[in-house]
Amino acid sequence: MSAAVREVSGTLKANLRRRLGTWARRRQGDDRLPIVINSRRVYILPTRAGLAFAALLLVMLLAGLNYANSIAMLITFLLSGFGMIAMHLTHRNLVGVTLRAIASVDAFVGEHGRLLVTLDNSADTARLGMECEVAGSPRAAVDLPAGGSARADIGLSLERRGRVAVDRITLSTTFPFGLFRAWTYVHIKVGLLAWPVPRGRHETPPEAASGGNAPAVHRVGDEEWAGLREFRSGDSPRQVAWGAYARGRGLLVKTYQSPAAHHRLFDLAAVPGADLEQRLEQLSAWIVGAHARGERFGVRLGDQMLPPDGGNEHRTRCLNGLALFGTGESW
Amino acid sequence: MIPSPRTTTAATLVFVASVLLVAADAPAWCVAIALAAAAWRILVARGHVASLKPFAGMRFLLGGITAALVIAVAASFQTLNGLAAGTALLLVMGALKLVESRSRRDEGIVIGVALFMLLASALATQSLARAPLYLLAVWGACAAIALIADRSGALAPRAALRLSGRALAMSIPLAAVCFLVFPRFGGQFWALQRGQQATTGLSDEMSPGSISKLANEYDPVFRVRFEGPPLAQSALYWRGPVLNDFDGFTWRRDRSKLYRASHIEMLGPPVRYRVTLEPTHQPWLFSLDTVARVSRRDAFLSPQDRQLSVNDPITGTVSYDAESHLSTRDSGSLTDLGRRYETTLPLDRNPRARALALDLRARAGSDAEFSRAVLAWFRENGLEYTLEPGFTTLDSVDTTLFDSKKGFCGHFASSYAMMMRAAGVPARVVTGYLGGEWNPAGGYIIVRQSDAHAWTEVWLEESGWTRIDPTAVVAPERLTRGIFDLLPESLPATSTFLHNSAMLRRLDHLWDGANQWWQQRVVEFNERAQLNMLRALGIDSPSWQHLGWAFAGALLLWIAWISLTLRRGVARIRPDRIGRAWIRATRKLARVAPARAPAEGPMEYARRVGEHRPDLAARIHALATHYTRLRFGRDGSHQDIVAFEREVRSLAL
Repeated sequence: MSAAVREVSGTLKANLRRRLGTWARRRQGDDRLPIVINSRRVYILPTRAGLAFAALLLVMLLAGLNYANSIAMLITFLLSGFGMIAMHLTHRNLVGVTLRAIASVDAFVGEHGRLLVTLDNSADTARLGMECEVAGSPRAAVDLPAGGSARADIGLSLERRGRVAVDRITLSTTFPFGLFRAWTYVHIKVGLLAWPVPRGRHETPPEAASGGNAPAVHRVGDEEWAGLREFRSGDSPRQVAWGAYARGRGLLVKTYQSPAAHHRLFDLAAVPGADLEQRLEQLSAWIVGAHARGERFGVRLGDQMLPPDGGNEHRTRCLNGLALFGTGESW
Repeated sequence: MIPSPRTTTAATLVFVASVLLVAADAPAWCVAIALAAAAWRILVARGHVASLKPFAGMRFLLGGITAALVIAVAASFQTLNGLAAGTALLLVMGALKLVESRSRRDEGIVIGVALFMLLASALATQSLARAPLYLLAVWGACAAIALIADRSGALAPRAALRLSGRALAMSIPLAAVCFLVFPRFGGQFWALQRGQQATTGLSDEMSPGSISKLANEYDPVFRVRFEGPPLAQSALYWRGPVLNDFDGFTWRRDRSKLYRASHIEMLGPPVRYRVTLEPTHQPWLFSLDTVARVSRRDAFLSPQDRQLSVNDPITGTVSYDAESHLSTRDSGSLTDLGRRYETTLPLDRNPRARALALDLRARAGSDAEFSRAVLAWFRENGLEYTLEPGFTTLDSVDTTLFDSKKGFCGHFASSYAMMMRAAGVPARVVTGYLGGEWNPAGGYIIVRQSDAHAWTEVWLEESGWTRIDPTAVVAPERLTRGIFDLLPESLPATSTFLHNSAMLRRLDHLWDGANQWWQQRVVEFNERAQLNMLRALGIDSPSWQHLGWAFAGALLLWIAWISLTLRRGVARIRPDRIGRAWIRATRKLARVAPARAPAEGPMEYARRVGEHRPDLAARIHALATHYTRLRFGRDGSHQDIVAFEREVRSLAL
């Protein structure tokens, strides 16, 4: 009986939440970073604890009125004021936060991808108990120091290969008394890639798909200067060639390459097996293995090819290719 | 969500505080169970004791214990409805919740139970001394709510206290205004049963010695504020139970002896005053002499003996306004039945007093003369006024007048009325209080149990019922001074000490005055007081609609105030040295070139300035480059920053 009631109320709540979400989406439109959370986009409702508190106050008020008991009424009024102040405090805990940046960290299927949400607090007091979530994720809690910033780390479990599209981040808080939850929707498109799990029956790729098999040890410091390339977002400031920038050549990044040792080409077509997902997983295992050994390798997926290369970035690019293969999305 | 030791301790401490608040009104075993559960809970939370492992059938066991405890409470109170029974239930249920509590939600429920106990405590006691305790309990509960809600543990208990303290302090104005204007209604929709309590003070019978027992009690019985100047001490005869039946030893009030009363003529102007009566658990009110009007609707003035009573015993502090006439005359005569009732005596008791009365009456020309003769006899026969008259016998009047020759007011009143009756003069004993202590701090009179007194009323043809106080001739000083001044040696040392130290007495008066203010202005603030307040504010015919408007207005004002107050201050992050220098540079440049757009980057701006002033292009470019390097690069040493500042300073335009 109670389970049925809970189910009905759960569906009702989910339904209401969806409608509110759609309405907020229409009302607010798309957002662009950075976003300052103003009070127009903050919603607030009592939590379950808040409703229980209100019920308690109602009983107290009725008792006070019934027995004409001044103390009971004074306590009730005091706690009612407290409740209203709690609402204001929760509301203001959220209003004024700036959502500055969102970074995504891709991961293999079955693992947790991460969304790193950077929040700024320009206020002179700390904002504790901020919570970030996206559909299907647990709430990630973060405390913002006064005049500082912090990063909320949302873990999103990846169930299927491909792109997980997130178009809404919910920022909420119940601080300080847990009687109200204030929340806001931020409508931003963030993609998160789920790479195929690296697993397969074949330890090494068939000879046909490789160009050599002598193992090479990759050591840090082996890298050779490979020239400058244009700055891409995500590059570390440490890599920026400030000298070149000062000479007015624009933002350039220094790149290095490990010494050319082996060139392998992993070809999807050459992977035995019938199931595409299993073949992609096999490719993933080869890529991970080759990268770990510091080898240079290329990947061919159908008519697209990534020429042999080495390094973290290359590995990521290859895995991204596997993740998006066959989804119709370019990579 | 597993609660931390800190939240558990906080919630349990709040629970303990509210248990202590209701402890006096609840059975000891319930309090013991609640405190034991709380102690166990804190020990578990701190890791000193292993927690209860859930086991199969635990729910049934807990359910069984719950049922057993509910039955135990119901059995000990014979009901579950009523304040004491409800409090006991809250105690045992709260204890059980503590034992099985394992989540933050459970701790929230514990706080809820604690707040309910606070409510129960407020329903039982509204004294001023309790008010700060209630406030502290509320504060603790709010801080515990914050700690329970804080999942990350970033909120220190001290911060939680500060936060909730501030929130409560900000809600005090709202609470005060709501208290004044929140519409109330008279009457109850659900009556609360209160437990039987021992009666205090005077009862409706008087034996030798029953008044002297009260004399060493320092507790206030009621307080009186006069409209106009207070009357002299000797005029303050506060009438209580009127006793009309004597068995030779004890005077009683016999309600069955009813007769038609004569009409009372009020003489002189009325005295108006307000009495605040402490709970006596007796159904009568105290008033001066003859009451003409009283503000309580259920008050009833018995015309035959002018005793003021109410339907139900007084269980809480009550106030009433009364209007009395100190001087009255009965027009008409006492009915035959009345005369018979008021002269009845057991014939076989107190033979010596009876003989004396008959003798004196035979020598007097009238009842009035006889009454004066008896008073003279009292005065002239060496009677001693004392709290300890010593032995007594069943013929108590004879003992008092002829054997011990000692007595307290009760003995003399009893003897005098008996002698009147013996000679056929209608007489009765009136018990009550005489005098009172003026409290200069509050401007009212405190009447204490020690002011208890007994006197007589005698029917005289010319004036009707007339007050005659035989104590006044034995110990005339009693009329102007309280018992504590007259007989200090026979009173408990603590009371005497309090009474004799001027400073303590002054403090006692101040505290009593504060309590009175609290009682009359806060505790008894009701619908009528609300309407009076509106009238004083100049609203001609106040109604609850006015209160509603005032309430809504106050609420809006308060909300506006808190939203302004709670607006978050924005941190004024002081620009650093590099930034300040760059801002100085752009200000200088703005004099000779277009100003920098807010979103414009340094290199972009430098290029724009260069286009405008090609002669400066190289220098500005170098400056912007330097700034960019300092700002975004990692190698900004102190010298480098100083060099940049010098570069900006040298920029003379």
